[in-house]
Amino acid sequence: MSPTPALEGLKVLDLSWVVAGPLVGRALADHGATVVRVESSVRIETARLMPPFVGGVAGVGSSVLYETCNAGKLGVTLDLSRPAGRDVVRDLAAWADVVVESFSPGLMSRWGLDHAALSAGHPELIMLSTSLMGQTGPLSRLAGFGNIGAAMSGYQHLVGWPHRLPVGPFGPYTDFLGPRCSLVALLAALDERERTGLGCHIDVSQAEAGVYFLGPEMVQHALSGEVPGRRGNDDPLMAPHGVYRCRPADDPARGDHVAVAVRDDRDWQVLAEVLGPVAAQDPRWRTAAGRRASRDEVDALLAGWTSGRTALEVEQVLQARGVPAHVAATSADAVADPALTGRGHFVEVAHPVHGSVVVEGSRFLLSESPAQVTRPAPVLGEHNGLVLGEVLGYSQELVAQLERDGLLV
Amino acid sequence: MRAGLLSRYRVLDLADARGLLAGRMLADLGADVVLVEPPDGSPARRHPPLVGAGVAQRSAYWEALAANRRGIVADLTAPAGRDRLRSLARHADVLIDSRGPGVLDAAGLSYEQLRELNPALVHVTITAFGRSGPKRDYAETDLVVWAAGGPLDPNRDGDLPPVRISADQAYLHAGADAAAGALMALTARRRTGRGQHVDVSAQASLGVATLGRILAAAAGDEAPEWEPKVAIDQSGSGAGTRRSKWEVRDGLVELHLAMGPAAGSFTNAFFAWMKEEGELPEDLAAWDWRALPAQLRSGERTPADLDRVRTLVAAFLAGRTKDEVTAAALRRRLLCVGISDPADLATSPHLAERGFFVEVGEGERRVRLPGPFARMPAGAFAHTRPAPLLGEHDDEVDGEWLRATLAGASS
Repeated sequence: MSPTPALEGLKVLDLSWVVAGPLVGRALADHGATVVRVESSVRIETARLMPPFVGGVAGVGSSVLYETCNAGKLGVTLDLSRPAGRDVVRDLAAWADVVVESFSPGLMSRWGLDHAALSAGHPELIMLSTSLMGQTGPLSRLAGFGNIGAAMSGYQHLVGWPHRLPVGPFGPYTDFLGPRCSLVALLAALDERERTGLGCHIDVSQAEAGVYFLGPEMVQHALSGEVPGRRGNDDPLMAPHGVYRCRPADDPARGDHVAVAVRDDRDWQVLAEVLGPVAAQDPRWRTAAGRRASRDEVDALLAGWTSGRTALEVEQVLQARGVPAHVAATSADAVADPALTGRGHFVEVAHPVHGSVVVEGSRFLLSESPAQVTRPAPVLGEHNGLVLGEVLGYSQELVAQLERDGLLV
Repeated sequence: MRAGLLSRYRVLDLADARGLLAGRMLADLGADVVLVEPPDGSPARRHPPLVGAGVAQRSAYWEALAANRRGIVADLTAPAGRDRLRSLARHADVLIDSRGPGVLDAAGLSYEQLRELNPALVHVTITAFGRSGPKRDYAETDLVVWAAGGPLDPNRDGDLPPVRISADQAYLHAGADAAAGALMALTARRRTGRGQHVDVSAQASLGVATLGRILAAAAGDEAPEWEPKVAIDQSGSGAGTRRSKWEVRDGLVELHLAMGPAAGSFTNAFFAWMKEEGELPEDLAAWDWRALPAQLRSGERTPADLDRVRTLVAAFLAGRTKDEVTAAALRRRLLCVGISDPADLATSPHLAERGFFVEVGEGERRVRLPGPFARMPAGAFAHTRPAPLLGEHDDEVDGEWLRATLAGASS
């Protein structure tokens, strides 16, 4: 007998787009919630235009990023620019326990769809608004994607090499942090609602999520006045501590760099034996302070050694001796990594167009009520009939009328 | 009565430096989180960033991430410490462990054993590479996990090796996922009355930080196009970076000259600003950045055209300040802002107005922290105390938890 999913019966209206909002609904769907994702087939949501694509062929129905953010959801297309389209949203919100939205702050209010409006007569509604800067404050209307969020939260300042301009983190970094804060806040709000019957409005700012994840650096600044900056791959204590080029593997898709971190003098002793007599016999390098003082020299020696081996060989040689090392993993490395495949991190889902697609699994594995991906992300408009007919109980005539009026696009 | 949405939950927090964020997030929402340290203190007390020197040296990592909870000492290598832990586990709703695969098992405190004592316990384990499998005993650090999880490799500056964020992040992703997993398991418990195990791998947690890239090989996308095919120096600095940093009078601004149907209109808006300021030559006013990728492919526009544009943008920005650029972005809906460093963030009027920073503790222990990670109705969050001193609450926690359980049973 399969266990009852934790969120079975929970009804979620997902009006969000790209990554930060949709990942929240994805986690809810994983645990049994019915999630209706509303989008537009005219103003295509950005994630659908982003790689990777199934078979490498771009198309609004083939983004794997979109798939992994929206697996398990039902899909409805609606024209929200017209009042009649927003009326359908109002009906969906009345059905829903939870509404997730990521429009520019103020827009839901102008549409008469903010929390105050939607919760009137529906006090148990929980609404999550996720945005770049939050719903309030002087910068709340600032537009932007995650790279702007990374600039507004310190990360664009904190990544790169000291002798060059900073490069920033990979991708829209705060899009990866915001949904973590959103999900924790939302689950706590659901817990509260269970006892009080009351919902609430949750306002998550991606930039604040970013700063929250820089808590140590903010406290460093508060206590000392220091302004932490970019330092390549250096660590304040560990040395060597870096990413080193290796001999390319036979398969060019595999990673050709390895990360190595020497935590203490024992790690160094072991590594030095591998590197050879120059390293092993230099007395200056027996302490971390000495190795940090001659960082370039030590790094050059280590890089010389890694350059003759593949990244995987370096990882295996060092790990066999207890020294932290790992290939800087590419996608090809990840899908071949038993530590990921062994925990079911890549989930294959049957797909009506592509046959099957692979999405990421849940990031927390529950032993008794595990996450389940029950369907792929929706094709545009795939569940218009189902949602309007069965979920909202619209008559066939009404659905046909909405269709004729061009609202279901 | 404690404040906060989660105030009725008790959390036994066995995290070391690798799992501290999970307990912090639950504590921020009001859970009664008790951090358990070994007799010589948590290794996180010595984790960088370190401030000060000698005996006055403090870990900002510890102060930030161990904040808002109580602390006790229990030596899990000794029978008395293990007994105490077992006793507390009977009264806990959640246990968080990040001490490494097998460490609690070896102390007789495995999930199975604790579950015998308290079937309602939610037992959360945070590891680098999972509790089992071939990498379970891999030596690891934040950098090494970051490499294994995927976000490191694509983050390059020209020919230099992949570069990380100059701040430990990998275990924070895992910690936040652990907090969510704990709450999901508590949600399930409301139906079943039973606890369960929650397994978080920091490596797996990082997949999301690759923006789907981790899935490319499985999708058969051999060469996903992460950035415009034409390699472009967008910095205007000649530094060779393809990233989007531009120098202004007091630092840097972030401006991606986005092109294509999704975001090209934002760049059009930026050029409208340049035009209004009289700093855009006539022939460039007609550019449509939404159509640019196609025009570059067809040869209608060339990389040399882009070079010229970038030089103009660099000159336009060089005379302005970060705040001026951010203000213009707000007014005109541009994708371009000043780049904040921690000092800017600490004094940000926006964050101040939203009440994002909180101060806890008295005297020398007073510390200013990032506070609520979401804005919710008053009383949802509770920020009450700084990180504990070693064994600070040894005398109060055990009796209190026992009494709370007895009171709960009799009510």
